[in-house]
Amino acid sequence: MEPAVSNGRLEVSCGKKIPKSTPCPRPVPGEASGGCSFDGAQITLIPIADAAHLVHGPIACLGNSWESRGSLSSGPELSAYGFTTDLGEQDIIFGSEQKLHESIRYIVSRFAPPAVFVYTTCVTALTGEDIEGVCKAESEQLGTPIIPVNSPGFVGSKNLGTRLAGDVLFQHIIGSTEPEQTTSHDINLIGEYNIAGEMWHIERLMQQAGMSILSRITGDGRFREVGWAHRAKANMVVCSRALLGLAVQMERKYGIPYFEGSFYGAKETSYSLRQMAYLTGDRDVERRVDKLAAREEMRLSLELEPYRKQLKGKRAVLYTGGVKSWSVITALQELGIKVVGVGTNKSTAEDVSRIADRIGDDAEYIPEGGARQILKTVRSRKADMVIAGGRNMYMALKEQIPFVDINQERHKAYAGYDGLLSLAKQLVHTLQHPVWELTAKLAPWEEETEFAD
Amino acid sequence: MPIKSATKPVSVNPLKVGQPLGGVLALQGMYRSMPLLHGAQGCSAFSKALLTRHFREPIAVQTSALQEMDVIFDADRNLEEALDHIWSKHHPDVIGVISTALTEVAGVDFQSRVKAFKRERALKDSLLFSISLPDFHGSLETGYSSTVESLMDAVLGLAGGKSPKKQRRTQVNLLPASYLTAGDVMEIKDIIASFGLEVITLPDISTSLSGHLLTGFSPLTRGGTPLDSACQMLESSCTIAIGASMERPARRLTHAAGIPYHLFTGLSGLAASDAFIHFLQKISREPAPVRFRWQRENLLDSMLDAHFYYSGASAVVALEPDHMLSTAAWLEEMGVELKRLITPCSTPALQKTEREVWIGDLDDAEESAQGVDLWISNSHGRKGAPRAGASFVPAGLPVYDELGAHTSVSVGYRGTMEWVNKVGNVLLTERGKGG
Ligand code: SF4
Repeated sequence: MEPAVSNGRLEVSCGKKIPKSTPCPRPVPGEASGGCSFDGAQITLIPIADAAHLVHGPIACLGNSWESRGSLSSGPELSAYGFTTDLGEQDIIFGSEQKLHESIRYIVSRFAPPAVFVYTTCVTALTGEDIEGVCKAESEQLGTPIIPVNSPGFVGSKNLGTRLAGDVLFQHIIGSTEPEQTTSHDINLIGEYNIAGEMWHIERLMQQAGMSILSRITGDGRFREVGWAHRAKANMVVCSRALLGLAVQMERKYGIPYFEGSFYGAKETSYSLRQMAYLTGDRDVERRVDKLAAREEMRLSLELEPYRKQLKGKRAVLYTGGVKSWSVITALQELGIKVVGVGTNKSTAEDVSRIADRIGDDAEYIPEGGARQILKTVRSRKADMVIAGGRNMYMALKEQIPFVDINQERHKAYAGYDGLLSLAKQLVHTLQHPVWELTAKLAPWEEETEFAD
Repeated sequence: MPIKSATKPVSVNPLKVGQPLGGVLALQGMYRSMPLLHGAQGCSAFSKALLTRHFREPIAVQTSALQEMDVIFDADRNLEEALDHIWSKHHPDVIGVISTALTEVAGVDFQSRVKAFKRERALKDSLLFSISLPDFHGSLETGYSSTVESLMDAVLGLAGGKSPKKQRRTQVNLLPASYLTAGDVMEIKDIIASFGLEVITLPDISTSLSGHLLTGFSPLTRGGTPLDSACQMLESSCTIAIGASMERPARRLTHAAGIPYHLFTGLSGLAASDAFIHFLQKISREPAPVRFRWQRENLLDSMLDAHFYYSGASAVVALEPDHMLSTAAWLEEMGVELKRLITPCSTPALQKTEREVWIGDLDDAEESAQGVDLWISNSHGRKGAPRAGASFVPAGLPVYDELGAHTSVSVGYRGTMEWVNKVGNVLLTERGKGG
């Protein structure tokens, strides 16, 4: 939430209201897309790199999903391991609690992780396994936190799963450890998953301004450091409404102010850094941020110059699944791109109003419908490109529409000042690629040929 | 040989995927089809994402999107709605309703619901069928072959159970196993056609997932076997099944229409390719086209060139059952010591093999790959292989970190040569580094 400015003073978060879980619309059978709550919970927690993540259920839930995200770790790799109880028919008929006990013990004795997350899935939720009971018993027995994540797929959408994972962090982890030392410039990043190493860019910027990240929640995070998140001076929720509840709860319990921001685009980046600095309450840091922002924006604007020229007036349809829409819009606008269509499925009312702030009525809002709707918008609005998640990439390619992947599976970092430059380059290279001309042409022998006599 | 399995209580770095994924894959090879996963929506999202990453193509799949209360009270309502929706919006030629672990455990009787829907709507020219594929059995391969079997049944049903009026001597059926790439299927079709035979393939991912621009995007599959071609399978003179898992669907046709089948457990390696060409020569009564003579010599020469690097090499192979067996076959021809063969689930074909086979995961592969030269598995092995000190060669599904895996060819003389060289290059580079 952008803090309201009243009487020239920033009014930061008030911790009064936890974002209402607007009852998610029921997905339409036969026309649903998107992941399950289990998926959302995994996305949020798996970036805790040194923990083990055990999926309790039949094979599909983990077998079909592991290693599909681009969260990077600077050290431990354990969370990249796929652990599952891989239930068979016998386990389901006779109960699998014993198997879960044994699995946890096996993981702890072999890998000695600081914690094990145990995920419920549809089947184990349906059969009513006492997963919390097992986790509790094993935590006591082993002296290692074994943390139940009760977010089976059938309770709802991916976003709900993220929110449930936020609750898990708040209830079981945050406040469980103490940092060796703290400073008055410690910030937590919430909802930044270090896709393609984006968090490292941000961390460098923060350091240059004299601030540091106390807990990374959860990109490149460590279990213990998440535990001491309650000692931070401020929380930044990185364009993820689903984790806003966590920030609100932390403000209530520990009095940590929060704000919601983004690192897509130079403006948003500067804004977020300023906001952090403001919350540290240190004038000196604020001054350093001002200088840093001025310097970086200046440098960036010079380096962007040639790309801006080529992107000016280009039209894009943006379909990011909602949460990131508004922040990416700003970034695109800074490059001179006109957003002529935007996906608002999964966006909250606030997201939508922020989108409206940025593009008004000039663009088409695509509430749902995925591929089909996107294509329609591209045609009716004469867009030059689609910017979306990997799910829709091949749809665009089949229609020979230039495409840039903005979601979790991508390999390029677009956050921060340098990120905007990368995005600009990516867009230009994509648009100008020779392949578009080549695919548009018929083979010469497919055109009418006059045969010599 | 006994089938062995590791004794861990937990699967670490699984090799297995859910059976429904195999079902979704099989249906990609039917023209204008839509697989419908009866379960919560995550299952279809994961299947779609995984197959999209592997094939780099849009994947058709839908879900009945069950939520908690639907499962408890009325899963049928969602199924009905989903069918309704798909039917009225897209009019697919084929809809396969595939159960998931959730609907199997909940014990919903979706099969009769599907039948009722068919009756009520009087769906005549399209195929609507259901198939039970719980995730707690089998893996990709079993899900795929069971789906082909059900598809076969449904096609037979559509044809009205009548014996075919005529038989075409030069027409044959091809049932390719789940592990064959779009490129493989194309190559096999091409080899068969070069003997003057017409071939009907079911399912045919070579025309749906090999990458073509055609007419743009559609939520249904584009390419694949058209339904009327599938119906013409009853007029063929024989069925060629590639991969042991395809024997059961092939047998269906034998029982229902008296069409004999011939099983090839694999088409990789010299011996397997020889047997195939020889067979085609017999049934077509045509001499083998001269290009196979060339290809065979090219292969043998490549094997000679490469044998230096393969000599004394050892390998761990972790793939789905049929794929593992066919890979083992050509590696043996190259003199590779098979340190361990790992596969995610047991199948009848494994009971028969002479080789020692382990049911396990990629963690078992990692353990047995210590000191081994070569590790062949899907992309999930990319991290484990270097930890074990083995060179990694991606194969199977998913392969998401290599371009063109889904169109690469591993069958016949040409495909075998491609792989002999590809793996040989890895050995040449890695083994040259010392040791
Ligand atoms: S919907 Fe349920 S069964 Fe399917 S992947 Fe998600 S948690 Fe697993």
